[in-house]
Amino acid sequence: MEFDTQLLYAIDEALLGIMILIIMFGMGASLTVDDFKAVVRQFRGVLIGFMSQFGAMPLVALGLAIVLDLDPAFAIALILIGCLPGGTTSNMFTYFSRGSVALSISMTTASTIMALLMMPILLSLYTTGFTQQLSEALFAAGEVGEFVIPTTNIIISLVVVLIPVAGGMILRRFSPGWAKTAEDTAGFMAIIVILFLLGTLFIRHGDILIRTPWQLYASAIGLGLCGFLFGFWVSRLFGLQPIFQRAISLETGIQNGPVSFAIIMLSFADTPVRDQMLWLAILYSAFIVMTSSFITLYYRKKGRFDWEVYRNTVVHNRLFGKDYVTHYPEGFLPPRIAHDPSQGTSLSQKR
Amino acid sequence: MDSRIIASNLADLYKKAADKYETLPAFATRIKALEWEHVTFRDLYERGRRLSAGLIELGVEAREHVGLFSDNRYEWMLADYGIQLSGAVNTPRGADVTDDELIYIVNHARIRVAFVENDALQKKIIRLWPELPELQEIILMSPKSKPLEGVRALEEVLAIGALQLEKGDTRVDERMEGIRPDDLFTLIYTSGTTGKPKGVMLTHSNMMSQMSVIPIELQCTDRVLSILPIWHIFERVFEVYTVSCGACNYYTSIRTLGEDLQNVEPTFMGSAPRLWESLHQRILENVRAAHPVRRALFHIAYFLGHYYQESIFYISDNDLQLKDESKIKRTIFKVGHLIRLLIMVPWYGFFNVAVLEAIRKSAGGSIKATVSGGGALPIEIDKFFNYIGIPVLEGYGMTETCPVIAVRTEDRLVNGTVGPPVQDTEVRIVDLETEEVLFPNKKHPHEGRGMRGEIWVRGPQVMKGYYREPEITKTVLREGGWLRTGDLGMMTFNDSLKILGRSKSTIVLSNGENLEPEPIEMQLRQSRYIEQCMVVGQDQKYVGALIVPKLDAFVDEGVEVDSMKELVDNARASKIIRDEIRVMMARTGGFKRFEQVREFRLLPKTFKVGDEVTNLFKLKRHVIEKKYEQTIKEMFAAKEVKV
Repeated sequence: MEFDTQLLYAIDEALLGIMILIIMFGMGASLTVDDFKAVVRQFRGVLIGFMSQFGAMPLVALGLAIVLDLDPAFAIALILIGCLPGGTTSNMFTYFSRGSVALSISMTTASTIMALLMMPILLSLYTTGFTQQLSEALFAAGEVGEFVIPTTNIIISLVVVLIPVAGGMILRRFSPGWAKTAEDTAGFMAIIVILFLLGTLFIRHGDILIRTPWQLYASAIGLGLCGFLFGFWVSRLFGLQPIFQRAISLETGIQNGPVSFAIIMLSFADTPVRDQMLWLAILYSAFIVMTSSFITLYYRKKGRFDWEVYRNTVVHNRLFGKDYVTHYPEGFLPPRIAHDPSQGTSLSQKR
Repeated sequence: MDSRIIASNLADLYKKAADKYETLPAFATRIKALEWEHVTFRDLYERGRRLSAGLIELGVEAREHVGLFSDNRYEWMLADYGIQLSGAVNTPRGADVTDDELIYIVNHARIRVAFVENDALQKKIIRLWPELPELQEIILMSPKSKPLEGVRALEEVLAIGALQLEKGDTRVDERMEGIRPDDLFTLIYTSGTTGKPKGVMLTHSNMMSQMSVIPIELQCTDRVLSILPIWHIFERVFEVYTVSCGACNYYTSIRTLGEDLQNVEPTFMGSAPRLWESLHQRILENVRAAHPVRRALFHIAYFLGHYYQESIFYISDNDLQLKDESKIKRTIFKVGHLIRLLIMVPWYGFFNVAVLEAIRKSAGGSIKATVSGGGALPIEIDKFFNYIGIPVLEGYGMTETCPVIAVRTEDRLVNGTVGPPVQDTEVRIVDLETEEVLFPNKKHPHEGRGMRGEIWVRGPQVMKGYYREPEITKTVLREGGWLRTGDLGMMTFNDSLKILGRSKSTIVLSNGENLEPEPIEMQLRQSRYIEQCMVVGQDQKYVGALIVPKLDAFVDEGVEVDSMKELVDNARASKIIRDEIRVMMARTGGFKRFEQVREFRLLPKTFKVGDEVTNLFKLKRHVIEKKYEQTIKEMFAAKEVKV
């Protein structure tokens, strides 16, 4: 699939830029220094999440690209999305899916920092085959030069998007009220802009949704879904409790879409594949909202019981002292949480 | 998961709860914001056994009435355990009991043993002791106060009981065995409207029927915040229900409610409309104090919540259906609502998540459902909570029905009604004059749905009667086991009960004072200027009267009028009546301040037999109220402006 006209006009790009700025600012506004300290406290969860995010997810992206036989440009974009750090929306979805928000926030924080190191490594590792294909294709088309992943640019782009995050954190430090507002506005803005982009794209390239091959849809939807699935089972494999399992699952599937826009626009600006990469990023961002909504509803329903046990135990420890031990009647708790109804959040509850 | 305990009586339920829930907390009391004291199901039961043995040793017989004068506290429940395990009956009243009430209740119920909450109460009851000939033992509940002479501390009775149990006393078990379903578990005195309180006799089977029909699911992980007085049957039934489900009751108070909502994170709350009003007020104040951006977001969210929920209600047939609507019309409207719903879902979804959840968090965040009872919940407040996503299950009941007659459920959440009658409970709508059954009656279209009348109820929760008041019992409890509730209502077309007011003439002013209009009307009718009159003032600040003047008397007095219509606006006539009311009300001196008629309106027509009055010239109050609705409204509005 090729684009004969420009996918985005200057105005859209400006809008997208503003959106990224606001979203990243909003992300910062939701963070405090304590969240960084919390990363150390829940090191095990963060580590397992890290493996799921930077270990499983890029492999899933690579696998999907191979299985669906994607064009190299789309394949590179998909792998790029697969290597992204977690997005802030995952915290919100985790909250509603009755997962551990603390872990979600820690994972988002840790992965955003780690991305500076991991993304260049992973990208060059997994995209080699596709960049070669692309170079050959370019050569055949009579163009000179070789397609390489602009590693330095990617790091610079990542640093650039971290600036508004830092700005948000500073705001949070000095005015929590405004920070809360910024956080809410950011979420709302993100949806508005995504819908606006889809709308204008639809008007301008009327047939774009029809021209897009099914493999592209499958990869955009499948990446998120596989992420949820892998996150869920990887954490289960390591014996994590349900509330953490749900957090890791959502964190793995939900990638930071705005960062991918920023990287593509800043680092791949001069390449002929930019529009194709952007289109996949837009598709992913649009579908992930829907899939995570459904997954959240599902988790919310399924996790209701263990969540209620967890909350009750937390309240007991809060009101009756941290050494209080809650004993439920025999057979009331399912085996998975029977030995620790607080799901690892309170030492005294461990049997 | 429905895990409630089904037992044959209250003592049995307490025992089964201890066996099933053992060391889970049953009741928790606040010491500091983050420091609460709790008692486990097992401890409570074991202490209850000791208390019971102590009470038996002090001479408490099976089926004897034991006084319990106290507000909410853990010791209340302990005392109840002790009394129930002894096969006795408790007669509860709050700590604010007046001298007259205390004397009346203790003597009428023939109480020999009474629990009192604190120092003030023990002093009061000792002062009144000379007037309480049958009272023998007083037990002080609060461990913080020192018992005066002649008063035993609760601990002392527990110690007596412990000793008895050690000696191998088996009387407690025998008493528990001896409880019959038809025995009373409580005798509750309701504030009387005719002067003296009436003792409502409620049996173990009344209570046990409530345990099995309450359509709300709780389990061991639930936390219930309690704020209503426990001697109120509504609160009492819910506390016993939480025991049956293994949930924990946390006692809070109006003063600490905001904090306790955050710390306890209740999953369930039962309360009176006043609490929802204050919570509603608090939420709105928070919104007003918030950032303009956040305020705007709230308004958008509320708007979306409103239309989203209304569409859900309509599609699920849970809208208020007061009239019959054709199926075709409803189907078309349903399609419309479905389209509206689909358009709104993503927006509602976002705002629900980003804004409404924060609002819900201010109510603790974990609330699954709430029950409102003990009074009519204003419709705006009812809707407000439903729109922001906290379903309010409004219920209807009375002390005489232990108490629940009908309650909304999560599937039948019809705003403006009190939901369908609970399981095993029959409701009739009966014509006030003829006592003809209007609903369910096949002779009427839709079996009488939509017709107004008095609500009659029959079911396992209906009381045994009023203690030592067979005459009053007979007027309320009819043949076939039907109880006249004295409330007006109708059945909606989706089978939910809607309460429309009271058919009893008792007027309840907005400050809570009850008064009977008849004596006042009788007094006013003594005037030569007054032909007929009706006293009004339900939910108002003061009493007003609608007066049918005697035209002749005014003409004799020299007022130049030809018809009653002219009298209405005649200033001189108004002044005469105003003075006359003052004279008439002052004559006997028997009326209390709040019973004084402060405002009136003259009516242009006499009351017609068969229309506004019955053949026996009894006022048909609801007919008159409806006919002169506007006049009444103006009468109370006029005064309001001056204030």
